[in-house]
Amino acid sequence: MDIINNLGIGLAASATPINLLFCLFGCLIGTLIGVLPGIGPIATIAMLLPITFSLSPLGALIMLAGIYYGAQYGGSTTAILVNLPGESSSVVTCIEGYKMAQRGRAGAALSVAAIGSFFAGCVGTLLIAAFAPILAKFAEQFRSPEYFSLMLFGLVAAVVLAHGSVVKAVAMIVLGLMIGLIGTDTQSGVARFTFGVPELYDGVDFVPVAMGLFGFAEIMSNLDRGGDKPKTTAKITSLWPTREEIRRAIPAALRGTAIGSFLGLLPGGGAVLSSFAAYTLEKKVSKYRREFGTGAIEGVAGPESANNAGAQTSFIPLLTLGIPSTPVMALMMGAMTIQGIAPGTAIISDRPELFWGMITSMWIGNLMLVVINLPLIGIWVSLLKVPYRILFPCILVFCCVGAFSIANSPFLIFMMAGFAVLGYAFNKLGCEGAPFLLGFVLGPLMEENLRRSMVLSFGDPTIFVQRPISLAILVLSLGLVALIVLPQFRQTREEAFQE
Amino acid sequence: MVRVKNPQDFWAGLLFLVVGLIAIYLGRNYTFGTATKMGPGYLPTVLSWIMAGIGAFLALRALIEAGPEIEASLWRPQAFIVAAIVIFGLLIERTGLAPSVVVVTVVAALASREMRWVETAILAVGLAILCVLLFVKVLGQPLTIFNWGL
Repeated sequence: MDIINNLGIGLAASATPINLLFCLFGCLIGTLIGVLPGIGPIATIAMLLPITFSLSPLGALIMLAGIYYGAQYGGSTTAILVNLPGESSSVVTCIEGYKMAQRGRAGAALSVAAIGSFFAGCVGTLLIAAFAPILAKFAEQFRSPEYFSLMLFGLVAAVVLAHGSVVKAVAMIVLGLMIGLIGTDTQSGVARFTFGVPELYDGVDFVPVAMGLFGFAEIMSNLDRGGDKPKTTAKITSLWPTREEIRRAIPAALRGTAIGSFLGLLPGGGAVLSSFAAYTLEKKVSKYRREFGTGAIEGVAGPESANNAGAQTSFIPLLTLGIPSTPVMALMMGAMTIQGIAPGTAIISDRPELFWGMITSMWIGNLMLVVINLPLIGIWVSLLKVPYRILFPCILVFCCVGAFSIANSPFLIFMMAGFAVLGYAFNKLGCEGAPFLLGFVLGPLMEENLRRSMVLSFGDPTIFVQRPISLAILVLSLGLVALIVLPQFRQTREEAFQE
Repeated sequence: MVRVKNPQDFWAGLLFLVVGLIAIYLGRNYTFGTATKMGPGYLPTVLSWIMAGIGAFLALRALIEAGPEIEASLWRPQAFIVAAIVIFGLLIERTGLAPSVVVVTVVAALASREMRWVETAILAVGLAILCVLLFVKVLGQPLTIFNWGL
């Protein structure tokens, strides 16, 4: 069997002591920022990106990936015990999880969340292992028109799946695309929108943008809301769920895994959307839906499995096509670029130890996370006592030093301050940062592929519908647009995001 | 008198409109090219117009359809956070890593009303030591630790 062979290669690469250490380190940081409200994986990965420069490529990717899925585990702890989402993907876990904690079932909720996540993480990892190579093989036939259509599909999907206003999401993508075009035009050598600033000739650096928009804007919004609130932590009596609870949690975890694995593939999907969708689904199909709102275990098992499955499968578009589908994946792409790895179809065949090493490390990481999160839960809970007034200056300082050390340039710091203000304004105006960041990352890629396609077709725009794969992708995009226009879907979409 | 019924959309729309117009102005000299041979100005110009168009649409729609108010802002956190970042940019090359981190930590901490001086002083020194150890000693970044020459 090929896959066993490949997983063997991966294990050989990822189970070295140093890489296991990176994996553990990533999982610990991930759990930490997952537990702490007010700092998410995007800001953290951006903060650590400059540091990865001095690591080996595989070690860097293993650590950063660990932060992302580790945060999915940690987020549920805070949601269940304090009724605060430690992470945006655990918002819905608060609803049932905290109610369970009030009934004295906090331990059971935590165990179900962790074991559900573990199961979903394993399935997600297996799915990547099984389908990524097939998808990459298929994508080898892709040329510029297909890539352009695919990215267009990604942006359309990001709009459809964005929270809130569709028009504003489109505007944010366009703005992101435009900021992405800043810098020297690769074909003509013309410097565009650089204002004569040498730091901008290579384009706007990704890290200060992500830190400003997500890290700092989040700090500012949190302080606006008054910073610290007294947190009351629920007591944990026993970690063991009852047999009845297990029986009810299993089907919910299975459904959550399925829905999360699928939604994780979609651009703009990832962990957050998966958990919301899983909760909505459980409320509709569960036999115990009457208990929802009073601490139904399905409402913990479903979303928590879904967000972890989604976190895993959202790696597939990046690893097979070289197209990041969420802001976190855009950062992972940045990490690959720093290491001199071109993300795309060639990774699996050219760097099998890297690809399979990452996959196997995810499985190892998920295993570590169960241990980190269940027996050691007390340590994480005590961390919640660190007040925000101490936490946010630390985040700020690390972001500043990290951003400066990318290029030793104060200009990047000033630009980061600018994006912090912009991100704060976006928050206030109900504009989402995620579509902006996707547009920003995809902008230069899209322009290049559009231009190449037009050269290929001698200026005939019908090239995009003449090539069958490209046509199929465009039809799918149109289908998505049609979904927005349909009133029924609009209603469910609004309902889904309301909760 | 026309009333703004959706302040969030209205100001977002104006923001997009202004950015779009500025980009159209700045990009006016980049070669537009043709569909076959797209110049460096092709996509920027097209996107700028789309941007300005969406902005105008949002702002106008905000006069007709009602929407949520903009949440009130506190000036203190925003001012101190932005100031802290800018001060770091100004200090880092002049004073070196350790003094900049101390100053920036204090300025940042002032953003919170619950700031306590003793606690902040300890935090500032602790962070400075941590940053020096992590970034300079462990990661080997070429950062000056102290620079008293200014």
